Parts: sequence; structure tokens; C-alpha cells
Amino acid sequence: MSGKVIVIGGGITGSAVAYDLSLRGMKVVLLERGSIGSGTSGRTHGLLHSGCRYIRDPQVAAECYRENMILRKIAPFLFETNGGLFVAITDEDMKYRERFLNGCEKSGVPVKEIRREEALKLEPNLNENLKAAIVVPDGTFDPLKVILSFLASAKARGAEIRPFNEVVGFVKEGDSVVGVKVWDKISEREYILKADIIVNATGAWGGKVGKLAGITVPVKPAPGVMVSLDERLVDMVINRLNPPSDGDIILSHRSTSVIGTTSWYIDDPDEVEIPKEHVERLVKRGAEMVPAVKKTRIRSVYVSSRPLIAGLREGSREVSRSFAVIDHEKEGVYGIISVIGGKFTTARLMAEKVVDLVCEKLGVEAQCRTQHEPLLKYYHYFRM
Amino acid sequence: MRVVFRIYREKNGKKPYFQEYTVEVDPESSVLDVIEKIALREDPSLTFNHACHHGVCGACGMVINGVERLACITKVKDVIKSGVVTVEPLKGFKVISDLYVDLSEMFRKIDVINPVSLIKTKPLVVSDLPEYISTTRVKLDDCIECGICYSACPIANSSKGYLGPAALALAFKAEKVNNDEKRVKLANSIYGVWGCHVAFECSNLCPVGYDPGSIIMRFRKQLLVKTLFSLLGRR
Repeated sequence: MSGKVIVIGGGITGSAVAYDLSLRGMKVVLLERGSIGSGTSGRTHGLLHSGCRYIRDPQVAAECYRENMILRKIAPFLFETNGGLFVAITDEDMKYRERFLNGCEKSGVPVKEIRREEALKLEPNLNENLKAAIVVPDGTFDPLKVILSFLASAKARGAEIRPFNEVVGFVKEGDSVVGVKVWDKISEREYILKADIIVNATGAWGGKVGKLAGITVPVKPAPGVMVSLDERLVDMVINRLNPPSDGDIILSHRSTSVIGTTSWYIDDPDEVEIPKEHVERLVKRGAEMVPAVKKTRIRSVYVSSRPLIAGLREGSREVSRSFAVIDHEKEGVYGIISVIGGKFTTARLMAEKVVDLVCEKLGVEAQCRTQHEPLLKYYHYFRM
Repeated sequence: MRVVFRIYREKNGKKPYFQEYTVEVDPESSVLDVIEKIALREDPSLTFNHACHHGVCGACGMVINGVERLACITKVKDVIKSGVVTVEPLKGFKVISDLYVDLSEMFRKIDVINPVSLIKTKPLVVSDLPEYISTTRVKLDDCIECGICYSACPIANSSKGYLGPAALALAFKAEKVNNDEKRVKLANSIYGVWGCHVAFECSNLCPVGYDPGSIIMRFRKQLLVKTLFSLLGRR
């Protein structure tokens, strides 16, 4: 049999879930309250993670690296593969060097230390007093184009994508969620849509959407500020050789650069404000790695809320240490699954685990193929 | 600062109108940030496209106080006139809902010229790097396909088959990377570079300085030379 599935959320996670479902022959409708990629995904830093920022947990680092390599293979046209550098500027940074190299080795992420002169040749805007430089498999992307490529590929296999269709309620029969109440902002009407299973892929908004269904989604919205600059200062992704901290990364998008990021917690991702002091801190820290940052005009400042996991309830199915797929059956509500945590880079894997669970619940026997199938071009999204 | 946002509203083919929202804003905020706040706090029925919020994805092209701009990199203080910011959808595209327009016709034109999204910029100057590093430096092309050049062009939206500024500029760039006879044939026609009226509004308003107008002129020259050589060769 094949099932009918509603996916809530038109970010990278929902889009990857819709694609995987459609590849496994299921009927899919994706609902997004705004435009595609208008939540967290569209304004991420656009870093194709090498995993090196997560070496504290080798399993997570290895997962990132693996997904990085899969994405390059299935959609080579979407990624700048100029690599990344971890650079040490101070003696304090140098103390982390050994731990970093060991961590990369333990995680299976192939890195290579290069000489200072080589690093400066590769990236002339780097601080010339750098003390160490390590090449890593980082990359960059335009988030919206990646999301649209997943959606184009889903649409080509029959998935229906409905932006500006907000879920405003759930339809329940006993303990089961059997459908959603949708507000279509384009045609200005409300309608009911039924499905065999509903996937809550709303990330940082997971808690808010969950509340409507009477389920608990342990997501903790954690915003981060990014400062975009008017010039492309680097080709590679420049990371500070240090445990993850504020302003420790600079990368380029087309002819601009972006310094990231900070992190704090909020309750409601619709109520996030940019703390002014974060901007100063990012510029100051960024300039320690790339001094030209100070002389470059700020283009814009933006903020994006990560969907961090707040600590899982007992019985939740933790499929990875970096993200969680939650079957709400455990709290007595049937027919709805939530997915939280994760990174843009690991969305394909998150989708695989979500759809594995959907298949298991619906009795559909179909293997995941998203790691092999090439993605369509983003502009094919507009073909149909 | 107290600002009146006059926003174009259109739903379901009903008669369009302007809705006014009086908001307290930091003049340094982007027009997009204000629109997003209005949609979140006052009027969730307001529909508009946005994603990256720093001018690299092309989602938020709009007409702001009469001029096509990316709302995300346009500060309120730079466009405000007598306390008012008027926001309208891009011109020439079908309005689906409010500021959200149908860009599919433009993307179809971009699709047919078979663009190259990743551009090789320069050779790697250091050898023996791991193989996951691209052997030439690559960069995602600067054109963000926002539709502003189509909105600004006096003919892109009235002359039905005309490929338009972005598609032609992308065709020229792609032709440098790989030769595609179908692409050349399309470009070398009245629907291509010969359809351009040389108004240069596309280049004037392009938010990333892509300068499609000049690229189309260069493309014309190149195609003329090519035609000339093929004629001479035939003789």
C-alpha cells in the first residue's frame, strides 16, 4: 500500500522529507505558512559542514561529513567546494590544535595541515600572523536554491507544495490526529486536509505547532546572529581553531561575506530581536581572522533560530545524537511524528529516518534512495 | 521612528488596494524586517517572498517607493519619503497574492537557456591539497534571478517571447563555459539579444551589479562576429 502524508514546514527538513516520501511512492502534500525557506533554513549561514565544528562528538562529526559528501554527489551544481580552513591566531588557539587534529582523526574527517605561507597564498585576506592552518572539507551554498532543488525533485514525483498555507488546527478522532485545518492565505479560505500520517517538520516552530495538536515537542529555539558584508573576502570557509564560539566563522555567498554567529535561547521564534552588541562582537572577532572585515561595509544583519533539542522525554526515539524523530504515540497521540534538531547539512539523513518511521507505521516497504538519486535543478521547481 | 507602510494588497483577482500600517521602527531596519514584523504581529494574511535576508537569494524583489529593490538590503531610512514607505509587487509578473508574484515564466526562460550556476574563477595556487577541494576556485554566479531586471525592462513583460535580461546574461556566461547550439540559436534571434531595446533599466536597477544590459551588448557583438565569420567561411 501507499500512504498519504502531510508534511508541515517548507524549510530544508520538510522539503527533504517530502522528497524522500515521494521517492518511496507516497502521496505528499507539503504545507508552509509563509514562502518557501522563509523560516530558519533560508537564512542559515549556508555552511556545508565538514563535521569539524562538532568533533566533541565524533558520531555527529562523522554524520556531517558523510552527508556533506552525499550532497556534493547528488547536486554538484549547488555547492561551492573550495574547502575550509581552521586557523589559529593566538597561543590560546594553538592549545586546541592537537585536540582538533585528534578529533578529526577519530571522526574520520580527512583534514590536512598546511604551512602559513600556503594558507596566505590561498586566502590573501587572512591575518598574516596566523600560527596554524588546517584544510577541511567545508563548502557553502545558497540555502533557498538547495531547498528548491529538493522540492523540484519532490514535485516531479507527484508531491504537492503549498506555500502560504498555514496549519491552524488539527482534526482528531479519539487519540488519533487524522488531518489538519489549513488557512490558505492566497485564496483566503479554510479547509480540512486528511492524511494517514502527519509530519511536523517546523523546526524551531515545532513546539507552537505541536501545541495545536496537543503534543509535546521538546524544541528549544536558539537564535544566532549573522553579519553580511559587501565584499567577497574569502573563497574558503574560514573557521577559528577553537571550540565553537561567537564570531568564529567567515564564509562567502556570491560576492558577499557572512560572519557568524552567536547563540542564545528564546521561547518564541516569532519574537526574536537582534541584540546590537552581537553585531559589534561578530565584527571584532571576525576581524581577528580576516582584518579586512573592519574596512568592509555591512550589508545587512540577520538572525535565524536553530531548532535545538531541549532534552528528550522518556520513550522518544533518538536516532542520532544531533537530531530526534519523535513518535507521539508514546504520549498517547497517534498519527503524528515530529522531527527536531539537526543541521541544514544533515537534512537528507533526518528525512531518511523520518520516512523510515512513516513506512514502518504505514506498512510500506520501500528503501530510501535519496543518497543516490541526483537532485533536479532549483529552477525546475517552477516548471510544474 | 513612526512610519506608515502602504502595502499593495490583492487576493483572488479582487480589486487591488493599498493597506496602511503605522509602525514604530528603527530607521536602520530593512524594509523586509518591517514587512515581516507586520505579517507576524498585525496581519498574517499578508503574503510576500523572502529567504536569505542578505541579498543573495533573490526572493524579496519588490517595488519600494516606486523603485525595484531587494527589500532585505534596503534600509527604511534610505527610501522613506514624507514618513511613508510604499511597497508594491514587481511589475509585469502575475500577482498571485499581495506582494507574491508568479516568477515561473522567468524561470522557464532561464531553464531553456541551460544556465551554469557554478562559475570557475581562478586556478588553485597551492598543490597537494585534499581531493575534496575543487581544483579551480568556484563561485555561485552573481545573478540571483530576483526578477528585478524583468520588472524594470520596458519590453521583457510586454513582448511575450523575449527571453529577458537575466536569461540572456546567463546565456552569455554559460556559453563561455560550454557551447550549446540551442542556447546560441535562441540568443541570436529577435527573442534573444536582438529583441533588447537598449534601455539599460535592467543594469540601472540590478541589486547585485550584474549589468545585464552591457552583457547583452557584448553578446550581440560576439554573435555578429560569429555570423560574419561563418558567412566568410561559406564564400
